[in-house]
Amino acid sequence: MNGRAGANEARAVGALARADGWGTMANRWAAVANEFAKMRHLRMGVVASVMVIIVVGLSVGSAATSPAFAEAAGRSWEALLAGMSLAVPLASPLLLAVMASRQVDIEHQGNGWLLSQTSGLTPGGLCRIKLLAVGIVVAAATVLESVLLLGAGLLLGVPDPVPAGLWAGYTASVSVANLVVLALHILLSARIDNQLVGLGIGVLGTIVAVFATALPPAAAHVTPWGYYALAAAAGYEGERLVAMTPAYGSIAALGVVAAAFFLFITGRSGWKEG
Amino acid sequence: MGAVRAEFIKLKRSLSWTVVVLLPVAMVIAGAVNSLVSGESPEDGWPTMWLRSVVFYGLFPLAIGIGILASLVWRVEHRGGNWNALMSGPTSSMRIVAAKAVVVAVLAAAMQAVLFLTVTVIGSFVFAIPGPPPGRYAAVSLLIIIACLPVAVLQSGLSMLMRSFAAPIAVAFLGAGAAVVLLLAGLDAAIFVVPYALISRATQLGTGTFSDTGAITGGDVVSIVTAALVLTTALLTATTAILDRRDTRT
Repeated sequence: MNGRAGANEARAVGALARADGWGTMANRWAAVANEFAKMRHLRMGVVASVMVIIVVGLSVGSAATSPAFAEAAGRSWEALLAGMSLAVPLASPLLLAVMASRQVDIEHQGNGWLLSQTSGLTPGGLCRIKLLAVGIVVAAATVLESVLLLGAGLLLGVPDPVPAGLWAGYTASVSVANLVVLALHILLSARIDNQLVGLGIGVLGTIVAVFATALPPAAAHVTPWGYYALAAAAGYEGERLVAMTPAYGSIAALGVVAAAFFLFITGRSGWKEG
Repeated sequence: MGAVRAEFIKLKRSLSWTVVVLLPVAMVIAGAVNSLVSGESPEDGWPTMWLRSVVFYGLFPLAIGIGILASLVWRVEHRGGNWNALMSGPTSSMRIVAAKAVVVAVLAAAMQAVLFLTVTVIGSFVFAIPGPPPGRYAAVSLLIIIACLPVAVLQSGLSMLMRSFAAPIAVAFLGAGAAVVLLLAGLDAAIFVVPYALISRATQLGTGTFSDTGAITGGDVVSIVTAALVLTTALLTATTAILDRRDTRT
């Protein structure tokens, strides 16, 4: 642990000593700041950047290689959105698993669970803090992906006006799906010491996410990764490129159910032996 | 051989078999479910079955699978005092590096065998494709196993350098992504420089996807084997040199 993390840890420890499960408002932010210090040490910025680079690169790449894109008049926002609707499910599940795994594994290695517990932050509370801290990074990365792709479209000279509503709605939907998958992986990594399990599920999640676009919508609702397909803002129907409306209702429902589940699990005492 | 045998003993409790079995089986089943849901069975039999199962697998799951296996093989050395035991033991850097790489390569080969077996079983029983798969797919599988060698050495080296389990896997993912872009751009020469491009190219052989012509020529085979051998030798030498400069950690 580096010096700054240590100082923050001490501050968080002192502040949390008087609090219940996961502390008062001010203490929570001290603990979140502490997680950010750990992230710097774990080079989480690099992993998040890898995610942004892969998503933007694949989105632009897949749009630019389509024959319609060769001439300026044929360029469309739908092609870019379709590219992103393919790149996000391909890149996100595994890299989210990597981020959750790294951020949680340091507690297994240094027995940080026990340290936090003695200072009043239960393992469940620590998981909530971790979701909050890494979630901020993931949400920022998702918005950055979307903005960079928008910029790429403007640079490439797409003639139509920007479909701002659809773009914002798609970004929000993907953020929700990303945060739910992240929450799931934080719980998994906290429960199971062996990182193989979390990363293995990340790989299987990628496969589910990629193939969910071909499944009927009912089947896509079954796993969190299927919601990447439900969020798709554009895609190909046969050969034809069409704009789609993300399934906002389903994604909102996923967000609510996942939040309730996460709070319930992390609120139970003794769900994880410290 | 003692070092290699020791590595296999260390593997016994590492759960690596789950990756070796689950990853290829999941890939073939995902492809099959996709075909079943869209209501189309592979029209021309084995070629379509092979293409649907293997090309996507070679784009990035294979690289990630090898990355996970390498991290599993090195994980034990980064725990407790094992790194210092390894550094102060009588085994030379070359033998450590080679033994670890051999284990990863053998597991990658086993993964390919499971993939071939699963394609055969699903093709025969789910899609009722007549006859066994043509011999050329067994030959391509062999080439894929050879193409996995440099990736095994590279990932093993990354997992040796990085104590983190997940970081080398993220590198594999990024490398595989870069390889896809290079192959999409038609830069087949990338297989001599980027090991991830080599496995992607080998899995595309004879499928007519990307810049593949659909025919397997002697030139393709020779360039894949040459690239694999050159890259493996170079990476083994580099990894050994790096490990030689490493010392115990306090």
